[in-house]
Amino acid sequence: MIQLKLRRSHNAFKYASLACAAALLMSPLAGRAQTHGDRWLHVRVVSSDAKGETVCVNVPLEMAQMVLPAINQKELHGGKVTIDKFDTNGVDLRALMDAVRKAKDGEFVTVNSKDQDVRVAKQGGYLVVHVTDNSGHIHHHLNKDANKDVDKKQDQNAGSTKDAAATNVATNVSHVEVKIPLAVVDALFSAGNDELDLVAGLRALSAQGDTELVSVKDEENTVRVWVDSKNTNGPEGATR
Amino acid sequence: MIVLAKIGLGFAGAVALTGAYAFREGVMRVDVDEHRANGEHVHMWMPAAAVPMVLHFVPQRYLQDAGHDARKWMPLAQTVAHELAKLPDSTFVEVKDGEQHVLISTQNGAIKIDVTDPQETVHVACPLSTIEDITVEIAGTRPGA
Repeated sequence: MIQLKLRRSHNAFKYASLACAAALLMSPLAGRAQTHGDRWLHVRVVSSDAKGETVCVNVPLEMAQMVLPAINQKELHGGKVTIDKFDTNGVDLRALMDAVRKAKDGEFVTVNSKDQDVRVAKQGGYLVVHVTDNSGHIHHHLNKDANKDVDKKQDQNAGSTKDAAATNVATNVSHVEVKIPLAVVDALFSAGNDELDLVAGLRALSAQGDTELVSVKDEENTVRVWVDSKNTNGPEGATR
Repeated sequence: MIVLAKIGLGFAGAVALTGAYAFREGVMRVDVDEHRANGEHVHMWMPAAAVPMVLHFVPQRYLQDAGHDARKWMPLAQTVAHELAKLPDSTFVEVKDGEQHVLISTQNGAIKIDVTDPQETVHVACPLSTIEDITVEIAGTRPGA
């Protein structure tokens, strides 16, 4: 009877040891998996000149959150930037953002002119700004169609606008698209009246899913700013 | 004969141990090659663990002079090095302009700066732990000490 108890106890000890060993072996993998869960802010600038200059920057958001408070230079201090001298032409930005937050999804501003099309809208928790500048146009009617194509393609797949971009390059149309999560805007304005809380903004941005924040295409450059969980600037790096 | 063998073994063991200790934090590497006639070719490899040790022997006044302007950036550099060490191997900046190529990345716990240019090639690698140690050393240098 005692021997049976001892054997059971021995078996339990053996299984516990095995479980501990497995946990110890897996712990580095767990740490690695957590690391890969980090969010990265990517910036890519591709110039369409003969040299084909390409600039790619990848910034881990968590690192930026830690580093920003360590910078105390001029308006930037403790992860916040003072905007007391920021000229808003008498517009209360905080009240404006509050009104946008409370409003339902829809278009707030639509301007269609000969040279520029501007659209400001709220869509699914995002503040979306589209600007199409035709001022440097060569074939105006073709540009209009090209931009419609860009919009359609971007709705379908934000990353597959190379053909549309090429059309823009050929026709000297610049296209700007900015898509900012409202949660990020709220976090930015969560500091005092005359401050933007960059760290809170980055924290809110980290909590968002994969997002394309800025896309600019004109005859000289293509600029893209986006957030995802990859630590590379696309599958082919800078050559993408 | 056996005594000689024992001495040799002891010496080899001491060298191996010293080498392992010196290189435990990796290697700090600087390679500069100028692609022109009589161009400079600098190739410097140094055990990273030796750098903070060497800094201990540098007179305080020299460190104060060197760190006078840089000191306020040391906490920032320290934070960056500390945070970079937590991340997997990554590319942070990549610039391609014709034949010029600049790459700033981390690899195996070291930050690497690679500049490839038709005129010159520069490769710098420094373990992040060494950067952290150096920043602590310089930041800790008190003026007038």
